[in-house]
Amino acid sequence: MGYYDIDDVLTDNAEIPCKFLHDIPGLGYLENNPGGSIHVNSQLKLPLWLARVLAIVEVAPEVDPITGIASEENTPFITLMTPEAFSIKVINAIKTDPVALDIHSINPQFYALAIKWIGLFGDRDLAEIVSELLLKRAQVINSHANSITISYKNDSINHNSKSMNNQTVFTLTLDEFEKKIFKQANESYKDIKKWMFQS
Amino acid sequence: MSLPNQLQDTFSPKELQFMVENEPIKIFPRFTTRQRIRKQRNDLLGTDSHRWKMMTMDDTSLNNMMAMQSTTVTLWIALLLKQQSKCNIIAPEWLTSKALDRALQFEQTNTLRFSPLPWDWLIISEILFKKAPDDFHDRVHELRSKIQDLREIRQLKVAKGIRYMNESHLQLDNLSLLEINELRPFISGIMDKLRDIHLAAVDAGGEDEMMGEEDDNDEMFNGTMRNESSRMS
Repeated sequence: MGYYDIDDVLTDNAEIPCKFLHDIPGLGYLENNPGGSIHVNSQLKLPLWLARVLAIVEVAPEVDPITGIASEENTPFITLMTPEAFSIKVINAIKTDPVALDIHSINPQFYALAIKWIGLFGDRDLAEIVSELLLKRAQVINSHANSITISYKNDSINHNSKSMNNQTVFTLTLDEFEKKIFKQANESYKDIKKWMFQS
Repeated sequence: MSLPNQLQDTFSPKELQFMVENEPIKIFPRFTTRQRIRKQRNDLLGTDSHRWKMMTMDDTSLNNMMAMQSTTVTLWIALLLKQQSKCNIIAPEWLTSKALDRALQFEQTNTLRFSPLPWDWLIISEILFKKAPDDFHDRVHELRSKIQDLREIRQLKVAKGIRYMNESHLQLDNLSLLEINELRPFISGIMDKLRDIHLAAVDAGGEDEMMGEEDDNDEMFNGTMRNESSRMS
């Protein structure tokens, strides 16, 4: 993953719901309240690259002006809440039928985002679910990548266009990473078919 | 490197063919290059007529050929000689109707295993079908359809086998060079992602025990991949 990796940039742009733990003056424009301040417990969607930093950096404890006692131990600016991509609804959908799921509509960088999210919280359960999801879908991707070449070979136009249509519908439901793998696998199968049928 | 991606991390079928052409194969030459015979004949004739000699790195096999006596040479030389009709290629014993039938039988009875064909069976058979179709004892189209059957049944098994992949290990014994090669971009891509997911969870969890285990698995994975590549070279 390089600095210029566009997928990485897009992944970091995913919006994460956050809860503010402090009053922050002057930031009201983030919630359509220009000039005002953001209050404790207000919720906002922030991009991951910003939210991650704000959730880690700690604010010095507030000192109560009357008693002069520091209120609590250090707290960060915000806490992260589960984004929609990993909500219970989606997790349940993954558990019921990983193959039929339209991952691209949930998040085009689903796996990359999942890896970042898992890395933040060390969420073993989510890691297991996502691996299982990838494995199940990998089988389907493989068979699709392989079958497309067969229709190339047969050269019958009707059959071809029909299966191509199926292919496009299928690839639309793939996450960006899956698409890349699908293309690579497809190329590889096609190369070998070509080599075998060259005269 | 400025090579396209698919050439950077895997082999093209043509490169594989190039490698396999270095394998030994048996031929029936139609001419003689053995020196001893030349001498005898020279003595008889009393002349020093020059017989031509093959330019070669090792003097042994190529310059020791006797017409109609089987000799082992590398495949690319065999193909060159075949092209000039200077030899007949002897099909390897696994590339006969009977042997292929046996392999097919094995594939059908053992649904979870691959029959022990040579590591280059697909490539060798393709090359020989194309370049030396008249040297087979069986009919070529029959052999070809049997090879195709074998390939399809094995591809089905591979598709089934993918289910048992995890972030560190996937074992498919007796899979041949070409079959591994066509799977490589797919398998390695998926496995890399699975490992990323696994590592993200483990690293964040920070449990040393799990890390150790992961290292072991990694070695195992590298080991299998290394085996494959050593068979390749």
